[in-house]
Amino acid sequence: MWAFIVRKLLYYIPVYLGIILILMGALRIKGDPAYAYLGKNATQQQLELLRQQMGLDDPFLIQYVKYLGKIATLDFEEESWAQDGRSVRDILIRSIPPSLSITVPTLFASVCISIVIALISAYFRGRAVDQILMVLAVLGMSISYLVYIIFGQFFGAGLPQIKGVYTPFAVKGYEPWMPLLSEGANPINWVTYCLLPVIIGVIVAMGYDTRFYRAVMVEESSRDYITTALAKGASKRKVMFVHMLKNAMIPIITRVMTTLPFLITGAILIEIYFIIPGMGFQLINAIRANDFPVVQGFVAVFAVIFIISVILTDVLYAIVDPRIRLS
Amino acid sequence: MIRRFLRSRGMRKFRRNRLALFASGIIFVYFTIFLGIVTTEILDVTGVTEAQLRHGTRIRVLPRLHPGFLQSSSTEKRYLDINWHKDRLGRVFDRDLSSVELPRQALGELDLAERKVIEAPLGEVIEQYEAFLAAYETLDELFYERDDLLDYMLSVELDLKDARKAGDEAQSEELSAEFDEIQAEAAEILPLFDEALEEAEARLADLMPPPTGWDGVVYGFRTFLGSDVSGRSIACKGFYSIKTAFQIGFVVATIAVLIGTLLGAAGAFYGRWVDNGVMWLVSTLSSVPYLVLLAVLAYMFTGHEYFDNPTQYPELQLVKLYTAMGLAFWISTCRVIRGEVMKIKELEYVQAATAIGFGRPYILLRHVIPNTAHIMFINFSLLFIGAIKSEVILSFLGLGVSGQPSWGTMISNSKDDLSNFFFWEVGTASILLFILVLAFNIVSDALQDAFDPKHV
Repeated sequence: MWAFIVRKLLYYIPVYLGIILILMGALRIKGDPAYAYLGKNATQQQLELLRQQMGLDDPFLIQYVKYLGKIATLDFEEESWAQDGRSVRDILIRSIPPSLSITVPTLFASVCISIVIALISAYFRGRAVDQILMVLAVLGMSISYLVYIIFGQFFGAGLPQIKGVYTPFAVKGYEPWMPLLSEGANPINWVTYCLLPVIIGVIVAMGYDTRFYRAVMVEESSRDYITTALAKGASKRKVMFVHMLKNAMIPIITRVMTTLPFLITGAILIEIYFIIPGMGFQLINAIRANDFPVVQGFVAVFAVIFIISVILTDVLYAIVDPRIRLS
Repeated sequence: MIRRFLRSRGMRKFRRNRLALFASGIIFVYFTIFLGIVTTEILDVTGVTEAQLRHGTRIRVLPRLHPGFLQSSSTEKRYLDINWHKDRLGRVFDRDLSSVELPRQALGELDLAERKVIEAPLGEVIEQYEAFLAAYETLDELFYERDDLLDYMLSVELDLKDARKAGDEAQSEELSAEFDEIQAEAAEILPLFDEALEEAEARLADLMPPPTGWDGVVYGFRTFLGSDVSGRSIACKGFYSIKTAFQIGFVVATIAVLIGTLLGAAGAFYGRWVDNGVMWLVSTLSSVPYLVLLAVLAYMFTGHEYFDNPTQYPELQLVKLYTAMGLAFWISTCRVIRGEVMKIKELEYVQAATAIGFGRPYILLRHVIPNTAHIMFINFSLLFIGAIKSEVILSFLGLGVSGQPSWGTMISNSKDDLSNFFFWEVGTASILLFILVLAFNIVSDALQDAFDPKHV
């Protein structure tokens, strides 16, 4: 087992070096980041100062090695260009809780609801209920993410407010709930701010997930052990919800595992549209503002998180299925 | 390869699927519109070039944020339209037109696409304008009178309701008498106002007649979905965006499928360091979340001299999207093709070809890759919609199309108008996008069922 883990880790080291190489190249290919940030009215002195601060005047390879050293020692103390007085690490740590408070409930709810719908659909396979559900799933898949967000906000937050009766959802914005991070925080407000983005995220995810889970279940229900169980006289309901569901969970868990890294990166579009200061929001704003240290740091961290979760998935697999360990 | 593919069993199965055929028909309609827009420039049959078509999406046709066909104009809206026309006309006619060097050119500023100022001697045009102005003044006076009256009527009506609720007999009787009086007055003024409105509209039509014949049809097309923030035609923008979408879809899907197939097949077929290299590249690019990758790649081009300069090089603006999406999308194709080639390379016909003595590259290109055609086809249709949907998202992030209309820019530019219940622009773009994506989803599902039924 340990040999497997070490092999995986060794495999991902060149991958990570590649990511950082591509990232640093992409950020420098269009020209000097310091010039892009300061604009053409900057004096030579300011440009030089900024370059020296970031080490941009070194040759590319030396910058690359230096940056790898910084990542290895978890040194993200560089100051952001666009947000004065905040280091990259500061921005990073502050933007993780908002992202998680949107993505974790979204993932949990969408997986649960999708599995239930897929079970219903697989139970009534070929009948009207199944067909209607699958038509709805295809229709739902075909609507653009952005359209969901725009109309979701409009009908979800706009209309109840216009009536002036009761406001279950905030239109946009965010408020932290942890008393440790901010004093006087109110968890109820936090729920108001997060509810609508979560609901929209669930609806977006549902079309694709339901179809996938149903396909898994349908395939699973044509296996021999199902026929055996039915032949022995077990009721169809019991076979579906006990025998089949257990086995169908394996591909479902795989799919959920592969989406785990996106929990941290956050639902970028939802964060931007609802102005939730999560990871995705900070990254896209940094890209727009030519905030070079933040872009570089964020993508480097994204990649680390991604790789760690991929390795975790592989290890979990290896525990479940010993054949993988040896291949 | 393509003929053999079209005659294959999977294709016959696909042709039996009625829904998929209908969806293919819809895609064909879109494709025809796309071809129509492209050929107008190449062949120049109608005397309209593509540049003119693109320009046509920028001309003002109506007042700003004018609703389309379903919301029949209310009286207030009609009055506001007249008001808008009066302001525009005033800006030109208030100058002394006889002293302007080219009065015709000054009048040309008023043209709304096909709806133009009448061709007549200058004196006559000014006479028409003055007639319109006179009609407008009576209308304006009546409007304020009507407005006051309606306000008053509403307040009295509310008071009356309150009084009835409170059970105050004397006051409610008094109020109802007053209400009747106002209604009698309104019955006098309202028809007068409607008359004045029609009169002003008729005078306006004399000055700027609504186009007839073919021009009328074109103008009708331009206006039937309303206008956007700067009065441009939503219908023109929406339908022209089909071209943008197909350009992006075709180029990105082609690039991604080609790169993915070649690298994936080569990696699986040759094995060893080729495979390791390909897999390294795949895991590297897929270790960055795809939207982040797209954003960083699109960021590479922002502010570029040629590729981010819509005024001077409108043709080059899509290159950044092609590059970013092409580099991000080939990964999925590469994985699938690699898995398939792993299976194919063990098959008898590949062994037979090796035994005959064909070279490895020849076997790869002649025997292995053609047998992955169905996967290429399915992936092409999946990536096609993937690209169009990503364009919408990138445009929203401010990294997308510039210099020509696209559904993404339409949706993201007009999302704020939705709070004024102006849904025409968002709606047009989303519905056109939705139909295309739905059709492609159905077709790629049917393709998958026909060629690869075991696939989950």
